[in-house]
Amino acid sequence: MGTLARVFVANRGEIAVRVIEACHAEGIETVLGVSEADREGRGAELAERAICVGPAAAQASYLNPGALVMAAKGTGCDALHPGYGFLAENAGFARACAENGILFIGPRPETIEQLGDKIAARRVAAEAGVPLMPGSEAVGSVDEAVARADAMGYPVVIKAAAGGGGRGMFVATDADAIRGCFEKASAEAAAAFNDGTLYMERFIANARHIEVQVLADDHGNAVHLGERDCSAQRRYQKVVEEAPAPVLPDAARARLHEAALQLVRHIGYRNAGTVEFLYNMDRGKPCFIEMNARIQVEHPVTEMVTGIDIVREQLRIAGGAPLSFAQADVVLRGHAIECRINAESPGRDFAPSPGRVTTWRPPAGEGLRLDSHIREGDLVPPFYDSMIGKLIAYAPTRAEALARLGAALDDFAVEGIETNIAFQRALLAHPDFVRGGVSVRWLESVLMLAVNAQEG
Amino acid sequence: MALTEQDIEQITRVFRESGWDEMRLKVGGATLLLSTDPDNVDGGFSSARSDTPPAPVSTKPATTPAPASPPQPVEGLLVRAPNLGTFWRRPKPGAPAYIEIGATVDEDTEVCLIEVMKLFTPIKAGSKGRIVEVLVEDGEMVEFDQPLFRLDPLD
Repeated sequence: MGTLARVFVANRGEIAVRVIEACHAEGIETVLGVSEADREGRGAELAERAICVGPAAAQASYLNPGALVMAAKGTGCDALHPGYGFLAENAGFARACAENGILFIGPRPETIEQLGDKIAARRVAAEAGVPLMPGSEAVGSVDEAVARADAMGYPVVIKAAAGGGGRGMFVATDADAIRGCFEKASAEAAAAFNDGTLYMERFIANARHIEVQVLADDHGNAVHLGERDCSAQRRYQKVVEEAPAPVLPDAARARLHEAALQLVRHIGYRNAGTVEFLYNMDRGKPCFIEMNARIQVEHPVTEMVTGIDIVREQLRIAGGAPLSFAQADVVLRGHAIECRINAESPGRDFAPSPGRVTTWRPPAGEGLRLDSHIREGDLVPPFYDSMIGKLIAYAPTRAEALARLGAALDDFAVEGIETNIAFQRALLAHPDFVRGGVSVRWLESVLMLAVNAQEG
Repeated sequence: MALTEQDIEQITRVFRESGWDEMRLKVGGATLLLSTDPDNVDGGFSSARSDTPPAPVSTKPATTPAPASPPQPVEGLLVRAPNLGTFWRRPKPGAPAYIEIGATVDEDTEVCLIEVMKLFTPIKAGSKGRIVEVLVEDGEMVEFDQPLFRLDPLD
């Protein structure tokens, strides 16, 4: 395997721009597959070539494996970067790439399959000695689910085996609650993932979401790049992410890093990846949730504190190069916080707010980074995710990073569409968040109450 | 990115549809001159060379017609690709083409195949007319919505 010459980018939005720029920094040409709605976008402008793979609807374009692989092959690309979302963790797509002589920039298809089935992922994590939440294998019926939950102890969370993103996920505090939601959970999972299989885990209310970034090559080298805290979530969607995780004992931090590497080594993982944990705040103990086999939205906070460009490393690993650094070379310095900027209306229950961006004046300055594809005058189409960018602040200490990010949000002028910028400002200013270490329930309970009270 | 034969064909098509008089495109070491003036053999290259290098021009064929150019009235009707795929003029290798220039078609006449990963879909003309131009080479990859044939409308 030599280095890559031309990469097909099978995604859109800010991550398409991020990947194109990383390719250019590595001296690699890019071809971007666009839907009809994205023909005029910033990504199409930056790539050496843009090719229209289908109409606006994602199902016929960004989720259309045949068209994407064909476009990659037809434009002479030797590799394909899937970004995140869409087909990034679709083993069939990774295989179709391989069958057509296109290198898939990601893990091997078998790895994607193994980690995509959350029940199989629990099994390999257990084999690897990674601490797990008490839980079940697949539960085939309501009665089986109740029997398992009775033995395990309530509350439990019912999850989709093929799942992610909170779909098909329900918390049940007793047997009646399981009876009430089981069918609905299965139907939701079947609708979202074509697979209604469910399993259960013990539910912990007082927990933080902490995840470990890893990089592994084809030569048996695996390193971690420290952890991120992504506990500020709404409906299982991350809102703010930071690195390192605040107020965490050093021993717990080390345990998380080690557990992530145990899993990565056990499955022979290749590519950038993220091992996600729920950190039980009462017991000070991490439990494995799942591993994401792709680049993640929140990767910039890790890049800011390590100085390592994770997307460029993905490209080098895919090209067959060994990691250019060892674990001892990874030094974490300072603190980084990222706010996701969404075209949505917090006042209308976060309803998406697509439209023409008539003013776009992002803040700039020392320690600030903006990952976005938006230019003034651009249309935010109604067909896709509402994220229009990520604003990241870096500083030597968390308090300084918070202050820098808050001031930057104040300077961020967007008109024509509604955004969550003011909401993010309120979040960063809340005393609980300033103290650090909030739980995954905090945003929807404490913060929403405070925000609503202020508005009411 | 070096220009392929396909690129040049597509650029030529974009130029034809643009209403421009002249277009000079420099990619790496190669320069492509397109002009509507048959006498323009030199293309002003000798003078251009002494000038500052020409402004970089995007090599994106057919995806985005230059936004600056005003929309051109389309002469005739176009049959467009319903999806990205490979354009095939014949039902199978060796067989006669579905349609030749000059043939008349109606809405349901099959004019070509589009192949995506070994899945072949026959494409219908969609309107009544006479085929005046085949815009794509046999076996070429076409994008979503790319024009395939030009028709003269028939009532």
